[in-house]
Amino acid sequence: MIESVSASIMAPTGPRRLSLGWESAHRPSPSGRVVFVSDLSPRPRLVMPLAEHVAGYGRLPSGLTMRMALDTLRASNLTGRGGAGFPFWKKLQAVATAESRKSPVVIANGSESEPLSKKDTLLLKNNPHLVLDGISMIAGLLGAKSAYLYVKDREAHTAVNAAMRERRERGISELRVTVVEAPAGYVSGQETAVVRRIAKGPALPQFSLDRISTSGVRGAPTLLSNVETFAQVAIVLRFGADWYRQGGQGSDRGTRLLTLVGAVGRPGVYELLPGATLAELLREADAGDPRAVLVGGYFGRWVDLGTPNSTNFPMDDQTLAERKLSFGAGILGVVGHDTCPVVEAAAITEYLAGQSAGQCGPCMHGLPEISTAMARIALSSDVERGMHDLRAVIPLVEHRGGCQHPDGVIQLVRSTVGAFAEEVKLHRSGRCTARGSHTSVLLPPGATVAAGAVVR
Amino acid sequence: MRLVIDPTRCHGHGTCAQLLDEYIRLDKWHYPIVGKQKVSAGHADLLMRASQLCPELAISIVDD
Ligand code: SF4
Ligand code: SF4
Repeated sequence: MIESVSASIMAPTGPRRLSLGWESAHRPSPSGRVVFVSDLSPRPRLVMPLAEHVAGYGRLPSGLTMRMALDTLRASNLTGRGGAGFPFWKKLQAVATAESRKSPVVIANGSESEPLSKKDTLLLKNNPHLVLDGISMIAGLLGAKSAYLYVKDREAHTAVNAAMRERRERGISELRVTVVEAPAGYVSGQETAVVRRIAKGPALPQFSLDRISTSGVRGAPTLLSNVETFAQVAIVLRFGADWYRQGGQGSDRGTRLLTLVGAVGRPGVYELLPGATLAELLREADAGDPRAVLVGGYFGRWVDLGTPNSTNFPMDDQTLAERKLSFGAGILGVVGHDTCPVVEAAAITEYLAGQSAGQCGPCMHGLPEISTAMARIALSSDVERGMHDLRAVIPLVEHRGGCQHPDGVIQLVRSTVGAFAEEVKLHRSGRCTARGSHTSVLLPPGATVAAGAVVR
Repeated sequence: MRLVIDPTRCHGHGTCAQLLDEYIRLDKWHYPIVGKQKVSAGHADLLMRASQLCPELAISIVDD
């Protein structure tokens, strides 16, 4: 079954990449496993034309059945790239087998609501055809009557429209994708918020006893995944699971787009090829001698680089899991020795508390209290009380929100006081290891946290 | 039977906790914390009333 997909297509050799064709201005790292794709303010580029796209990746496979696709996706172990890291084949199967009289809906989420992330926008701007290929194949397999692309960035929107026009002009017959604009705000990219927005409601999370795979957009079985996942689907279903899994280690061996930000010489979007280590990535990014890395974005966990050999591990899902880490939203935040990671975390917590949709009591009231406690610890104003308050408030908030937002914040807070227990101890005596100004390097540009309270 | 409260709707009026004090207590912000235990058959009417009286229609009854 699995062979039937790969055998019908001449599997190409060489590295498989999402950034094929748009990394050309930059050389890969000496090991060839880290590709610097773009800086954080990419100049408008030419969208990869369809002819070039087909020359690079080949045509879409024909005669694909749901059975073949599920087998291939299952063997590939492709997991979602949006944060939760859920196996894609399971999602597809759930929607395909959902008992409903409504025809399924497919949504590709490119809203990138993590403000530090740039990889999805970049993917849509440079290689929209790969994302559209993935949507087209999945929508076709499901017999979906509607497919949506949820996007925030204006230039990405333009690129996608141009790509769709090109596909129509070339006579590609496929379900037409509707582009829906994602409003600003951290929670607008939460699964149920997207579903609500697509149904023309507000982009706010919604509580439901059902999963969206059985009852999503207007009650229809809904498959929602991140745009990078759809791009990977387009690769896996073209070349097969064996090819996708060649090289590297871990469970999902595909490449990954990561946004690397913070105290580094070369912040930007990188594509990690199988086997790449954190050390290699930091070297490529010209990180110098960093203090800590926040892996996975604002809902992520810290790696304290003060411990020996802390960067010498391959960046694959299993190795990360063994270290209690995950790719999350595909963001790595690097902190140097000028700022204190506890102060950074307190600033992020305050920002996230302000991003609560204000719908649920525990989130609305609890996050500001958690934020205040973090500020006490970060600023050495009353560490004792801060730690005490965290212990008291967290149980009142955890698992009590209508969406993952508060639990994500709690994960960050726990990781911070766990990874930097020594630093917290130092703060108790009014000291801090930061050598510099305490200006946050991980807050989104333009974000304001209580003037002077946390970030000085 | 279980009761499930939609946290995005609940405004913490606490009517439910008054009716179902065996199953629901209020946190310090007056939002309900639902206990883990199932609602006994004898309390089915009470549960029904609580779900009807909730001003935000936030309470669902799940049979399992
Ligand atoms: S948990 Fe917070 S962010 Fe999520 S729906 Fe409730 S109020 Fe909104
Ligand atoms: S009665 Fe309804 S709104 Fe009031 S606390 Fe209970 S669930 Fe919330």
